[in-house]
Amino acid sequence: MNCCGISSPPEPNPESGGGCCGSANLCIADLSVHYRDFEAVRGITLNIPEGEITALVGPSGCGKSSFLHSLNRLTDLIPGCRVSGSVHLCDGTEITHPKADILDLRRRVGIVFQRPNPFPQSIRRNFEIPLKEHGWKKRDIPDRMEAVLREVGLWDEVSDRLHKSAVALSGGQQQRLCIARALALEPEVILFDEPCSALDPIASGVVEDLIHSLKGKVTVVIVTHNLAQARRIADQAAVFWVRDGAGALVEHGPAERVFSSPVDPDAALYLSGARG
Amino acid sequence: MPRDRSTSTWLDRGFGLIGALAAVISLLLFVWLIRDLVRLGLPRLSWGFLTGEVEDAGRSGGIGPLLVSTLWILACCLAVVIPLGIGCALWLSEFVRRGSPVARLVTGGVDLLSSIPSIVFGLFGMVFFAQTLKMGFSILSGGLTLACMILPLLVRTTLTALESLPADLRPASAALGLTKTTTTVKILLPAALPGIVVGITLGIGRALSETAALLFTSGYSTRLPESVSDSGRALSVHIYDLALNVANGGPMASSSALVLLVLIFVLNSAAVALSEHWLRRRHSFS
Repeated sequence: MNCCGISSPPEPNPESGGGCCGSANLCIADLSVHYRDFEAVRGITLNIPEGEITALVGPSGCGKSSFLHSLNRLTDLIPGCRVSGSVHLCDGTEITHPKADILDLRRRVGIVFQRPNPFPQSIRRNFEIPLKEHGWKKRDIPDRMEAVLREVGLWDEVSDRLHKSAVALSGGQQQRLCIARALALEPEVILFDEPCSALDPIASGVVEDLIHSLKGKVTVVIVTHNLAQARRIADQAAVFWVRDGAGALVEHGPAERVFSSPVDPDAALYLSGARG
Repeated sequence: MPRDRSTSTWLDRGFGLIGALAAVISLLLFVWLIRDLVRLGLPRLSWGFLTGEVEDAGRSGGIGPLLVSTLWILACCLAVVIPLGIGCALWLSEFVRRGSPVARLVTGGVDLLSSIPSIVFGLFGMVFFAQTLKMGFSILSGGLTLACMILPLLVRTTLTALESLPADLRPASAALGLTKTTTTVKILLPAALPGIVVGITLGIGRALSETAALLFTSGYSTRLPESVSDSGRALSVHIYDLALNVANGGPMASSSALVLLVLIFVLNSAAVALSEHWLRRRHSFS
């Protein structure tokens, strides 16, 4: 049984039933990630509420990123990586189902990486390629691109050089471009894997404000090492820790409660800055 | 005890001097070669030489039909080797696991191919293309033999170009739900294009200067070829023939060599310009 009360995996059909998790957008049940014999993440059960920002915190090497990457099957790209347990979207689509439509799934659950990774082509092509792939009509693409570039506050900076290379932009601009590119596909969830740690403090602040502004529009899961940042933007917090050689979820709940009065002793020491 | 300061300075100067000497010798060799070619070859160069028929076994007349044959052979070679070489490299880099037995087998085979002397390719081409496949001594036989010879070069350069792309391009593309085909064709290939063009220009240089592989395959005929199944003498074969088999053929050999050099230069520049134009067009919205 998973958190949604579904015992047998449903067909990966976006139209199949709705709202099995109540207000949760992602229902994760007993999720474990193995790299060959090494268990990186063990038995995570967690509900990610819709439209809120959930921050995953914890020391390095406790499986946060492995967990995050298993939420849109990017772990499939790593040879020898095996994921068990289940992840459901709120309409019942099982992400971890072997026959799931991975391409559509990755459109619905987008990801932004630590290092900005625009394609080494024009800014325009960075939107045109994924939008075309997911069936947008050519004439609708410019409007869609403009809308998301405005949403990330990049339109005024790049509107006169859309034909120029995206890799010529600054680091912060590149990261906002990557966020816009993920947003363009109208995802339900966006995963952020330490999105600010490769940026300077000013660019980092801009990207943080941007992520904060997504609240209510899209479900956000963010891995961050910056506890102050997590405190500022998160609605929900989940603390990861290494238990018996594998990453485990030791504490989760509303961010305010987790940060002010954590129950788990390791989490308490980590969040107070005494450990980790 | 630390070394005397003046000794270090002298050592640096000496080392710099040796390096400079090597650079000057390299430059001199190049200048000498060009100077000789121009001195011996330029007086006979004219429009008539470029377009005229070969007369008196090459001692007089021009090289018109040979230029046509050379370009035909090159076109046949590139038409086959570009899709084959890039396809093979793409498959090795994107569709099989690096270091897997099948990948090692193919790269090993390709590397082995590149160490085979060109005269052996010539013999192979004669037996396989000319005789077994009954293409005869023809431009097609010559072009295909050259394609076999250049294939490893193109596979290697394309593979290196693909492998040196930023590692995060592939996950970035997968994360957007793009298929492997879209990723390969629309993202990786354009990014690797400059490296691939380097491979193609090197290949053009090798193909145009090749003699041994063409001796037994494309033949000696100095007539203007009417199709790719006609025999046609390549410029490099002509130079070889003039220098070795034709008495007093030296000056004409120099003129032909000068034309060959300019041809290689022009084709390489064209390949680079074309790829730059193509990249610019991809960058702007069509």
